[in-house]
Amino acid sequence: ELNMGYVFIGFTLLRNFAGQIRSRLFAFGKTQKLPCIHTSAALDVNKNWDRKNLHMFPPQQPDEARRPAEVHHCRRQIKYSKDKMWYLANMIRGMTIDEAIAQLEFNDKKGAKIMKEVLLEAQEMAVRNHNVEYKSNLYVAESFSNKGKYLKRIRYHGRGMFGIMDKVHCHYFVKLVEGLPPKAEQKTGFDQAKNYVEQLKSRTIIHAL
Amino acid sequence: MRCNAEASLEVRYPQPFVVPVRTKKRYFIPPAVGIKGKAAVSADQEAKARAAGVVLRQEYMERAINIACTAGVFDPYIPPEGDARLSSLSKEGLKQRTEQIKQGAASQLAIRKIKEHDAEFTTKAFPVKAQEIFVDAHNALTQFNKEKLHSLVTERCYPEMVRGNRYKTLRWHFVESLEPPKVVHARCPDMVSKGNLYGQVTVRMHSRQTLAVYDRFGRLMMGSEEEPRDVLEYLVLERHLVNPYGMWRLHGKIVPAWAPVKEPIVKTVMIPGPELKPGEEFEELNYEVPKPKAVQWHK
Repeated sequence: ELNMGYVFIGFTLLRNFAGQIRSRLFAFGKTQKLPCIHTSAALDVNKNWDRKNLHMFPPQQPDEARRPAEVHHCRRQIKYSKDKMWYLANMIRGMTIDEAIAQLEFNDKKGAKIMKEVLLEAQEMAVRNHNVEYKSNLYVAESFSNKGKYLKRIRYHGRGMFGIMDKVHCHYFVKLVEGLPPKAEQKTGFDQAKNYVEQLKSRTIIHAL
Repeated sequence: MRCNAEASLEVRYPQPFVVPVRTKKRYFIPPAVGIKGKAAVSADQEAKARAAGVVLRQEYMERAINIACTAGVFDPYIPPEGDARLSSLSKEGLKQRTEQIKQGAASQLAIRKIKEHDAEFTTKAFPVKAQEIFVDAHNALTQFNKEKLHSLVTERCYPEMVRGNRYKTLRWHFVESLEPPKVVHARCPDMVSKGNLYGQVTVRMHSRQTLAVYDRFGRLMMGSEEEPRDVLEYLVLERHLVNPYGMWRLHGKIVPAWAPVKEPIVKTVMIPGPELKPGEEFEELNYEVPKPKAVQWHK
């Protein structure tokens, strides 16, 4: 019961709060002349993922192994929850791009359609701008989602109580690399048991005489 | 005494100047939500201002630009076929040489006009200078030195040289010149107004060069660094004659219709094919890939 009391902010409290803000602003005087140290939220977004596409490598020697092409792509402020997007991002991690697009096409979630668009855009970018030869020769190396900027709204409850509703947005990032996806090493039970026994054998007593 | 005490109680001290940092807004409402009928508000204000008699001067969104080069090659030189393939001793070679020596009346007139404005222009010394400009411009392109490139190459030629190369590594080397460069063509068009003269001179150059293009990841896209190729080029240089500080800069290249086909790049590229109806197969259609027409174009 005590917890419920803290969740809903009382209406009278809000009125007092608003009153305090108004009185403080009045005492503030002219707002324009003071230097504004707080920038607006829309300006300080992180564009590091897009900048990874501009990284140049020096020319390779003819005897070196051919460096695989990498393409970074993202979509910002998708109207979807980051937790729900995480399930899809986890699903396609490590798949070839054709497989990933096929799985997303027949997935029922809302984020799947958006993710498929992002993958197709990234594939197109890779072939056109980043000198990738075969568009199917790509696999999803990294794929993750995180929180975008939330809008705040008021959710009305009974008895004059209210809660702050978040309109959730998320960002989705994907990195495609040319070539076949790396195979995960399959460890047999015997190998694992052998490793365990070796660990036990290599134990020592520290600070011993 | 009592009134003094009351007066002291009523004295108001000045409020301390406090920055309300606690009331910094921590949420982000997109601007589209906040503005409700702002356009209507501004229209109202305009009407009120006009009614009051406040006259606002018409704001012109103008900006002066300086045009220092022409938009293309006027009356381009048509190189005779088999230019570098026929030797001077055969019959056809001699015919070509005589034609070239005549050079056409228009070119002579143009050269005379250029010599009026630019005292140092000679048909003998200019091609050497042109070759130097060409070599310097391509070296600046490999280093991507923007300022130097702008001084050696006109504004029309610059995007054509630079487009698509920003995230690529270019390695270019001028090995040697096989024949001494020659002036083959000259024209003096004027742009917009009558006296605004620009001089365009075409120089023929036969040389040996190496070119290798590497993409963003350092993989070879085209060409090779060790193998030099023989290249026959027709360069167009331009200068704004009326401007006393004008310089001769590379304006473009003329690619003749009979030029050999360029070698393909290392990558396999998909060409869009014909639209198939459901039920048709591509192998049955006997589709021939259309080849481009051999037309002279200037770059």
